[in-house]
This record gives sequence, C-alpha cells and structure tokens, in this order.
Amino acid sequence: MSPALIAALPFLGALLPGLMIRAGRDASALVTGAATLLALIGLLTHLPAVMRGEVVTAQFTWLPALGLNASFFIDGLGMLFAGLILGIGLLIILYARYYISAQDPMGQFYTYLLLFQGAMVGIVLSDNILLLLIFWELTSLSSFLLIGYWKHLPEGRQGARMALAVTGMGGLALIGGMLILGEIAGSYELTVILENREAIQSSDLYMPALLLILLGAFTKSAQFPFHFWLPHAMAAPTPVSAYLHSATMVKAGLFLMARLWPVLSGTEAWFYIVATTGLVTMVIGALIALFKDDLKALLAFSTVSHLGLITMLLGFGTPMAAVAAVFHIINHASFKAALFMTAGIVDHEAHTRDIKRLGGLRRLMPVTFAIATITALSMAGIPFLNGFLSKEMMLEEASHTVWAGSHWAVPALATLGALLSVAYSFRYIVHVFLGPERDDYPHHPHDPGFGMWAGPALLAALVIVIGVAPWLVEPLVRSFAGAVTAGDLPDFHLKLWHGVTPALYMSGIAVLGGAALLLAHGGLARLWQAAPRPEAKTIFDTVVDSAARAARAFTDALHDGAISRYLAIFTVAAVAVAGISFLGGSFAAGGRALLAVEIIPAIGWLLLVVATLTIVAVHRRRLLALVLMGVVGVMISLGFVYISAPDLALTQLTVEVVTVILLLLALNFLPKETPRESGAAIRLRDGVIASVVGLGAAALIYAIMTRDVSSISQFHLAQSYYGGGGTNVVNVILVDFRGFDTFGEIIVLGIAALSIFALTEALLGGPVSRRLVNWRYDMARAGDRHPLMLVVATRALLPIALVVGVFIFLRGHNQPGGGFIAGLVVAIAFVMQYMASGFAWAQARQNFHYHATIALGVLIAALTGLGAWFNGRPFLTSDFGYITIPPLNEFEWATAIAFDVGVFLTVVGSVMLALASLSRIARRAGETVNLEPMDVDPSKPGGRSERQER
Amino acid sequence: MIPADLTVALPEIALAVFAMAALMFGAFAGKDRVAAPILWATVAALLIAALLVAFGPAGTRTAFGGMFIDDAFARFAKVVVLIAAAAVLAMGQDYMARRRLLRFEFPVLVTLSVVGMMMMVSAGDLMALYMGLELQSLALYVLASLRRDSLKSTEAGLKYFVLGALASGLLLYGASLSYGYSGTTLFSGIFAAVESDGISLGLLFGLAFMIAGLAFKVSAVPFHMWTPDVYEGAPTPVTAFFATAPKAAALALFARLGFDAFGAAVGEWTQIVAFLAVASMFLGAIAAIGQRDIKRLMAYSSITHMGFALVGLSAGTATGVQAMLVYIAIYVTMNIGVFAFILSMARDGEPVTDIASLNMYSRREPAKALAMMVLLFSLAGVPPLVGFFGKFYVLWAAVEAGLGWLAVAGVIASVIGAFYYLRIVYYMYFGEEGDALDRAMPAAQWGLLMASAVIMVAGVVNLFGIEGFADAAAQTLVR
Repeated sequence: MSPALIAALPFLGALLPGLMIRAGRDASALVTGAATLLALIGLLTHLPAVMRGEVVTAQFTWLPALGLNASFFIDGLGMLFAGLILGIGLLIILYARYYISAQDPMGQFYTYLLLFQGAMVGIVLSDNILLLLIFWELTSLSSFLLIGYWKHLPEGRQGARMALAVTGMGGLALIGGMLILGEIAGSYELTVILENREAIQSSDLYMPALLLILLGAFTKSAQFPFHFWLPHAMAAPTPVSAYLHSATMVKAGLFLMARLWPVLSGTEAWFYIVATTGLVTMVIGALIALFKDDLKALLAFSTVSHLGLITMLLGFGTPMAAVAAVFHIINHASFKAALFMTAGIVDHEAHTRDIKRLGGLRRLMPVTFAIATITALSMAGIPFLNGFLSKEMMLEEASHTVWAGSHWAVPALATLGALLSVAYSFRYIVHVFLGPERDDYPHHPHDPGFGMWAGPALLAALVIVIGVAPWLVEPLVRSFAGAVTAGDLPDFHLKLWHGVTPALYMSGIAVLGGAALLLAHGGLARLWQAAPRPEAKTIFDTVVDSAARAARAFTDALHDGAISRYLAIFTVAAVAVAGISFLGGSFAAGGRALLAVEIIPAIGWLLLVVATLTIVAVHRRRLLALVLMGVVGVMISLGFVYISAPDLALTQLTVEVVTVILLLLALNFLPKETPRESGAAIRLRDGVIASVVGLGAAALIYAIMTRDVSSISQFHLAQSYYGGGGTNVVNVILVDFRGFDTFGEIIVLGIAALSIFALTEALLGGPVSRRLVNWRYDMARAGDRHPLMLVVATRALLPIALVVGVFIFLRGHNQPGGGFIAGLVVAIAFVMQYMASGFAWAQARQNFHYHATIALGVLIAALTGLGAWFNGRPFLTSDFGYITIPPLNEFEWATAIAFDVGVFLTVVGSVMLALASLSRIARRAGETVNLEPMDVDPSKPGGRSERQER
Repeated sequence: MIPADLTVALPEIALAVFAMAALMFGAFAGKDRVAAPILWATVAALLIAALLVAFGPAGTRTAFGGMFIDDAFARFAKVVVLIAAAAVLAMGQDYMARRRLLRFEFPVLVTLSVVGMMMMVSAGDLMALYMGLELQSLALYVLASLRRDSLKSTEAGLKYFVLGALASGLLLYGASLSYGYSGTTLFSGIFAAVESDGISLGLLFGLAFMIAGLAFKVSAVPFHMWTPDVYEGAPTPVTAFFATAPKAAALALFARLGFDAFGAAVGEWTQIVAFLAVASMFLGAIAAIGQRDIKRLMAYSSITHMGFALVGLSAGTATGVQAMLVYIAIYVTMNIGVFAFILSMARDGEPVTDIASLNMYSRREPAKALAMMVLLFSLAGVPPLVGFFGKFYVLWAAVEAGLGWLAVAGVIASVIGAFYYLRIVYYMYFGEEGDALDRAMPAAQWGLLMASAVIMVAGVVNLFGIEGFADAAAQTLVR
C-alpha cells in the first residue's frame, strides 16, 4: 500500500463514524477500527522491506513553486511511530467504545479521533517538511477538538485553551525553523535535508533554526518549562489522554528530534539545550508526579518525566543513546497507554480518580490490579519487564556523560529521576490497589467487561514478552534506531544481564530509595503541600494576564486618541525616514556661490522671522495672530517683488487681503482665545519636533538652492511667446501650459465656496442656530458701524478698482496680471462696499447670483478648452492671433483670454459667496441690517439713521 | 491618440461615469429611498468591471503618454480591489439599512474610491499616482465619517483627514523632489535616470518621503496611528471596506513605485520597507492582545498583516512581489469573511463588537462558529489553511532574498499574533455562558462568510491557481 494512502486512510475513514452512528455505536466503532486496521495492515506490508533497510516513498507534486510536495516515505523511524500510532489507536478505539457513555455523541468522537490519527500518521510519514508542518498543526487543531470534547467541564476548557496556546505557538515557531532549515539545505525534502549535515551545522542560521525547531518540539512534547499544559489537558476523556498524551501526540516532538537527529545533533548547543532540558524535565516531572493525588495527573507528570528521559537520551548525541531512546519510546508507549487505560477503568468503575479516596481495589478488581501492577512495575524499571531494559541503557549512558566538566551531575540526577519514578510507580500500585478495602467508594467498583480490559491486557502481555525476551525485538530496534542515526549504529545487544555495571548500582539505589521514599510519603506529602512552590498553571495564567495587561497599557499609552500625539509620532517618523535616507546617501555640499546679503532684504527677513516667532508665542490670541499673519503675508509679497516675481507678489497680496478679511469676519463668531490644552512638557516636545522639522526642511531647501539644478524655466521662457502668444510667462503657464491645472483649481475654488455655503446652511438648521440667536458679542462694539469716511472712500475707490481690475485682466497675457489677480482685485473692491455699508444694503444694489457666476466661470473655461477639440487639437490647446482694429494698434487675441474670463468670474463669485454666507451667520446672531448706506448721514436732518431692521 | 488612450482606461472611465450617473440619479430620484437599488447596481457594476479587467486584452498597454499602465500586475490588483469592494457593499447593505445609514452616497463614494484605487495601481507617473491616491483618499475621508450623528465616527473621519492630509503633503513633497532630481514625473523616466546616474541624495529623499506617504495609506507602523480609531469609529461596512480594497491598492501602488520608478535602486528602499514590516508585524501583534473590541482588534490585525505583506515587498525580488500579491488576495478574502461575521453580530438589533459577547457561540451556532474558527486559524497562519500559505509565501521570499532575520522576526510576530485569534476561538468554544447574540444573518453575509471559510479550506489544493496569476503579475513588474 502506498505510504500516501496509509496517511490518507484515517482521513477518509473520518467521514464514516458520523454516518455509521445512525446504525448504532458498534457499527460506528467498527468502521473506525476497520479504517485504522486497514492502514496498519498496509503499513506492515512494508515491514520486511524496511527491515532490510529500504525506504519506501511516494510523491505527488502539490505547490512546486513553494517547494511543497505531497511526498511520503517510510523508513525505520516512520515505521516505528506509524505502527505505534495505528496499533495503539486500534486498542483505544476498542476501549473508547465501552468508555464513552451513551449520552455523549460517539460518532463525533470517533471522527475527531480519526482526524487526529491521520494527522499523526502524516507527521511521521511526511518526506516534505512543509507537509510535516501541515500535519503538525492539524494535530494541534484536532487535539483541541478532542480535549474540548467534554465541554461541560471547566477544567476541560482551561486545558484545551492552554494546550492550544502552547502547542499552537510552538508549531508556528517550528514553521520558521523548518523554513530556515529548508533554505540552508536547498530543499524541503527530508531525504535531501538529512544528507546535508555539514552544510547545516556550519551555517550561520544553524542556531536560529535549531532554537525554533526545538521550541516546536519542546512545546509539543511538554518539556520544561512548557511541561505545564500536559497535565491540564488530562481533563479530556481518558481514551483521549491515553492516546494523545501518552502514546502519540506528545511523542511528535520526540519524533521530530529523532528525525532531525542526524543533521542537528552532535553540536555543543544541541547537547546543552536538549540534554539539559530533558534531564530537568525528567526530575521535575517525576517529583511532581509523586505528590499528585489525581490518578491521571500522576500519570500525566510521569509521562512528562519519561518524555524528558527520552529527550535527554536524544540530547546526548551518541548513537548508543539514540538506540536507548528508540527502545524506551517503544516501552513507554506500551506500559503508559496501558496504565492510562487502567486509570480510566478505575475512574469509570469507582467514579473517582482521587487516590485519597481509593485503595484496596485489589480484591474488587483483580484483572485491573494485575494489569496495573505489571505495567507500573515496568514503569518503575523492575527486571523482567521492558521498562527495566531501557532504563538500564539510559543509566548506562548517563553514567559516562560529562556535563560542563562535571562527571557526577548527569548520573546523580538521572538516578534521582529513576528513584522518583520508582516511588510514584509503587505508589500507583500501593495506594490504589493494596491496603484495606473501603466502604466509602463513590460507586462500588468491579472489573469491567472484556472489551475494556482487553486492550491494556494485550499491552501488559507485550511488556512481559519484551522484558523477558528482548532479543525478539532486537532486529526491530536495530532497524528503527538505524533510521535515527542514519545507519551509523554501534554493535549492541538487548539483553537482561549486562553484568555488574554502574547502571546496575544506580538502578539498585533507585529501587531501594524509591521504596523508602514511598514509606515516608505521608510526611513528605504534608511537607510538599506546606512548602511554597511555583504552580505552573498559575504562572502561565499570570504570565498571560500580565502580558495582556502590559500589551494593553502599551497600546493605551500609544493610542490615547489624542491627534496631537499621532501627529507627533507621524512627524518624528517622517524625520527619521529622511534622516535614514540622508545617512544612506553621500552628501556633498552644493557648489553654487551665495549672494551677498543686502540691508533691506535682511530687514525684511528679520521682520518675517520676528512676526512668525511672535505668532507662535501669541497664537492663542487669535485676533493678534491674524494681524501678524497679515504681516507675514505682506513680507512674503515684498519678497516676491524683491526676487522679481511681480505676478506672484500681486497674487499673494490680493489673496492675503481677501483671506484676512474673510477670516476676520469668521472670527467674529468664534472664541477669541484658543484654550490651552496641553501641559508644558508636551508643548516642549512639540516645540522640539517642530524645530527639527523646520530646520530639516530649511536645510533641504538650502541644499537644493546651493546647487545648480537643471530647471525647465528656459523651456517656458522660450516657448511662452511662440507657443502661447504671451510674454508673461507666469500667465501663459497658468492659462496655457498648465491650463488643465488652473481649470482644476478654479473648480476647487468654486467647490470651496459652495462648501462654505452648504456648511452655513447646515449650521443654521442645526443646534448652532440656537447658540447664534442667543449670541453675545464678547468685545466692545464700535459706536459707528458704517463710518462716513469709509463709505465715501470706498465709493470713490470702486470705479478706480474696477478699472484697475480690467486693466490687470487685459494686460495679464503679456505683463504681470491675469484673470485670477483681476478677480481678486474686483472682489476686494466689492467686499469694501459691503464692509462700509453693510451686506444687505450693498447687496440690494449689486444684485447678481453668486452661484451662477461661479458656474458661468467654470463653464466658460470648460468651453474654451472644448473649443480646441473642434479644431482637432487636444483639450485646452490655446490659439492666438493678431487683429488690427483701424484706429487702434495691433491687438492680440488669444483663446486664453476667454479662459481667463472663466477664472475671473469664478474667483469673484467664490469670494462673494463666502462673504454672503458669513453675513447670513451674522444676521442670525442678531446683527441688524442697515437701510441707509451709513449710520451718520450729515445730509439728512438729525444726522443719525435709525432705520434698521433685522 | 485619445480614443486609443480611452480604450486602455475603459473600465475606470466606465466606472467613473457610472458613479456620476448614480450620483445624479440619487440626487434627483428620491435620495436615500433609492439607495438600495443604487447599491445593488453598484455591486453589479463593480463585478462587471472586474470581469472586464480580468478577461480584457492581455499584455501590457500604456496610455496618456505612459501615465497610465495596464499590465498583468495592475489587472491582478484591480480584480482584487473590485471584488472586495463589491463583496463589502453587498454584505453591508442590510447593516446600513437597519441603522438608517444607507445613504445613496455610500455606494457612489465607494465606487469613486475604487476608481481612485484602479488609477493608483495603473499609475505610470507621479501625477497619475497622486491623482488616484487623492481620489481614493477623499472618498475614504467622507466614508469614515459617514455616521454624522456619531461623535466617534466624525472624530475618526477628522483624524483620518488631518493625518491623511499630512501624509499626502509628505508624498507630494517627495514627488516634487523626485521630479526635481530626475527631471521627469514618468516612472520610466525616473527609472532611466536612476539607472544611468545612480540614485542621488535628492532622489533618495524624494523616495523616502513618498514611502512615508504610502506607508500611511497601508497603515504601516509608525504611520498607522489612525487605523484603530477609524476602524472603531466608522460604521462596520465602511470598516470592512477600509480593511480590504484600499489596503490592496496601496500595497500594489507601493510595489509599482518601488519597481517601476526605483527598480534600479531596489536596495535603497527595501531597508526602509523591511523596517516598516517588522515594526508593523510586532506592534500589530502586541497591541491586539489587549483589545476587547473586535473592530479595534481587526485594525491591529490588519496592521500586522500589512507588515507581512511588506515582508514580501522588502525581498525586492519578483518572488517577493508574487508573495505579496498572493498574500493580499488571501488577506482580503479572509477579511471579507470575518467582517461578514462581525456585521452580523448584534443583540436585540443593536450592533455588538465586544469580543466577550461571543461566549459559547459554538453551542448556538455551530456552523457559523466553525466557519469563524477556520477563518481565525487562517488569519493566524495555522497550517493547512490557506492563510498559512500566504504567510509562508512571504517568509519564503524573504529567506530566499537573504533576509533570514526578517523571516525569523515574522515567525515570532506570528506566534505572538496567534494568541489573540486563538482567544476568540476560545471564547466561541469554551467561554462562559452569556447573553446570546441574535441569530439572524442576512443571506449576503452568510454566503460570504461561508464562501470565505470554504475557500480557506478548499484553497489548500492549489490556491485556486492564484499563484500563477500573481507570478505573471510580478514578472511584468520586476524586470
């Protein structure tokens, strides 16, 4: 049978129990068992070939780009583990049929069990390490389902969570390790990786790969300090504990270490990490096991201890230790699975697993007693049972292992571990089965039916057979261990009697000491209970909780919702990015000569700087800040004049005027002070950040200006007249070269004005309206709202301003000016009228529709652009020509003029619309409307115009 | 020239016209009463556009003087964006209608921002890039504050806008520096300039600032600050949209800029991207641990995932880009499923986003809980679900590019990140009994949740062949 099919069989079989449960529990168990048995038979057909040292493979491509292939192979190691998984699985299925009570959904249980079994078989038969990872995590998932099978038990939930957290994360770490390993070896096929010992061990990435892989293996096999999850997962139904937590899943970590043993072992790092971890786990697990009163907890910690033992053996890195490890894996699987099942039987029959409430079951449950005694003695390492053989080998290896220069550390601790192991094994027998019969069992126990004890009995028989006649399994062990060590096997024979060796002494000490320890157990247990000791579960919970708390505190501190902090982080990060790129490049100072500093510009610059700094200082007083902003604007305009940019100067100046006026009007209805929201420290922080950013930007500008940058100015200068028909390059750029930009900009301007209008509309309809109605001006009001002088002056200015506007508009194409500036000039002239005589009065006399003006402007501009299409030119291509109207000089016309008209109209409309919106707010706030142009009119009798309305 | 150009950009133009027509129809035909028909029409339009893009002419075509590029890479990203947008709209309809949030502008704004995204991924010029980016962003600003009567929503919108404006400014600054030092805004021109003269300091600055601006859009740490607030504050369908389509588009644009314009100096930007990736993966993973609100949690989760996607990009190779594209596609699919579920979370008709409300969810809703579990495991990157392949792809690309440390960092981050996904699963399967959530779930949400979960499982066969498309896309980008 193909290895792939063997791995697939349990998955295919997983579909059946759920269906067959309708035909009864027996049918369900039968199909489950059949699927497993079929896979086992399929596996065993390869046994002869594997014994000959052949490797059976099967390969399908899956995602070749990723190096992921569905490839399987069976060698000795795979055969051993797959055999264990399927063989013990078969016994567990039988056992569970009688163990699972009628109320629990058995079909579901068998489905999960088969899923798990398939995942386990997949792990041990995978050739591709990515495939192995997939199966690895599948075991986590399916075990999660199995552990959580009894959802009503709170410990079950806790256990499931912890198991998933620990093994799941270990699995993710393993992904990283495997990825690196595959990269070093250049392939993700195990068969290839195992050939590359030299390359892997000499790689710089060996350490990270080793650590990540071991993290995965240690968490899965419950090695110290991750040993705590396993006992808590034992709340699961006993068949699950027996299968997952003794025989199979926890051995996946061992399997992985054994599988990669040829390439990873043999280094110092491997020895110190793996052997030490194993040793510590062995002793600690055994110590805890001795004092557990829950039968399953006792067995769970003993499992932890034995896993530690095997890990230690693998960690030694010698071939003989590997042989011992393989042999112990077989032995441990056989006696521990049987022990779990006996514990389950006791629990099932007596309805308790608490050792304190048990005892004296010897006569009530003779069969169970016999099985439990044989297997527990094997666990203790008593001669003529298989546990003895592998323990002797372990002690033998330990006796000549040097740890950091010390000759006695490993032997002594190994003996201690063995001693403790003897103690808890004896305790399992003595405290549960021996002693006087009690009459207060929660349920009167008796031996269960054959189905339930058949499995453990078979295993117990195996324990004796191997124990008495180890040579029977020697070829198997040789073949299995050969796969671990990649053929490099020492000459060894499995036998009972090795002569009087150090291991025998150590064994003797362990047995005697263990028995003595059990005698003193009562007192020691009290001491143990009284002694303060770290409880792994509490530590786990504390670690998780404090990690969560720390994470939360960190997040809350970082994301406190204050946008100022967000901006600070953003800005600092941007500066850092700039800094990094500065350091990354090679900087050379610019070669362009600096201009001499003249006195007038220097004064202007100083004024600019002083005004800016003053704004920063007084920015809370908004009116003052606005005035200073005006100063800054004017200085910038003058700067443009100084560097010969009249267009920009004009634009800047007019924009400055309009915005200051509009801002002033808006400020009327806003608080005049900005509240202080941040403390001194934060302001200092912001000040530093702002300074760094400002200086950085200045440095960038300096760097750019001190070098000769190729500029497109020359192109524009050359093309302006011939291509655009204008000598004012700036205007030609605006209406011609970059006409599309300008077109977009006037649309934006129009939309901005419309937004102000819409916002006002929304404001006046909402709660703001109420506030405006009750508005109290917070500053003293001038007695003369519309002073005579202002009215007269603006009236006189209006025609002049309009003429200036037209002039600027018309000369725009060739001289400084243009539609945008002209629009602003005209708008300012209008705004002055409104300021002087009040909005309503002025509007009644200059009634034009602002929305329509904006729309007209945009439309005219658009039509001008479209006009080009009719001449077969791209959108907005301008054209120009000259006409001579007789009395006048030659006159240039250009389509750009029409475009500029659009710009002009949009600007005027937008400014006026904004003004109208502000006026609406003012009127809602109780501002009265003049019916006369000015408050004091000397031409009228009485002089004072009282006619006002709201 | 014009008709040829228009043909190349036909899907974009058609969608833009559709958006405007829908806007007019909505404004004049009954406002929010016609919102639902407009929404379904938009879904159809987006899907048709996706088909148009996917089955349109193959090969690489440019338009508007190289400013607009239609190649395999752009098409891949566009299909992801379009399908994500359609899915999000479809599953959000019921939610919006129930909470009286279904304004007709919603689908229109989504369409406009999708047009912006399509423009972004097709950009062949700094100006086209900016235009697409802003069209997308402006629509998103409005969407974020769609729930105008909610303080949180408006605050989120404002924050997003202010920070977004800053990011746009930074990007523009970088773009103008790049233009100044290369003399052109065309990507191909910048590429040629860098190739012939090497990368000057000015260009390096320009590049750095543009990366900062783009990092904001993909919410990469440390430019991510807006993400949790906006995710939490915005209405859930909008959050779902934020988590999917814009992320895909911004990442694609990132790659486009990196390779099309600065492909001759890959080493210069991969370092910055690698840093962003590591910071995002770790901050996202750590910060998510403490979250109790599932929308905030998804915000941090998306930050982590963006970090992973950037790992692919920082490899600076065709394989890296391929990995990134595969990652995006998988990420978007998972997020659609998860958000379909989050949208259905309600108690007595009121939306609930507290994670603890999922206590013992599996007992009442085994099917949905199972689907969610699959999605969460997939998000955590647990094999054999498709999410694992996404992670594996990017890590593999990083290792292959010699960035072993980045891959190790990614693994550690994913270990930390797994914690909070598993915690939700734990709540669903083993939590304490609490008040039950409503059982009702609209068909669109149910369908998308299940479809997404099924894809996560069935995709393990061959990832639906997506890697082939991603490979073709990456090959056109990385030369």
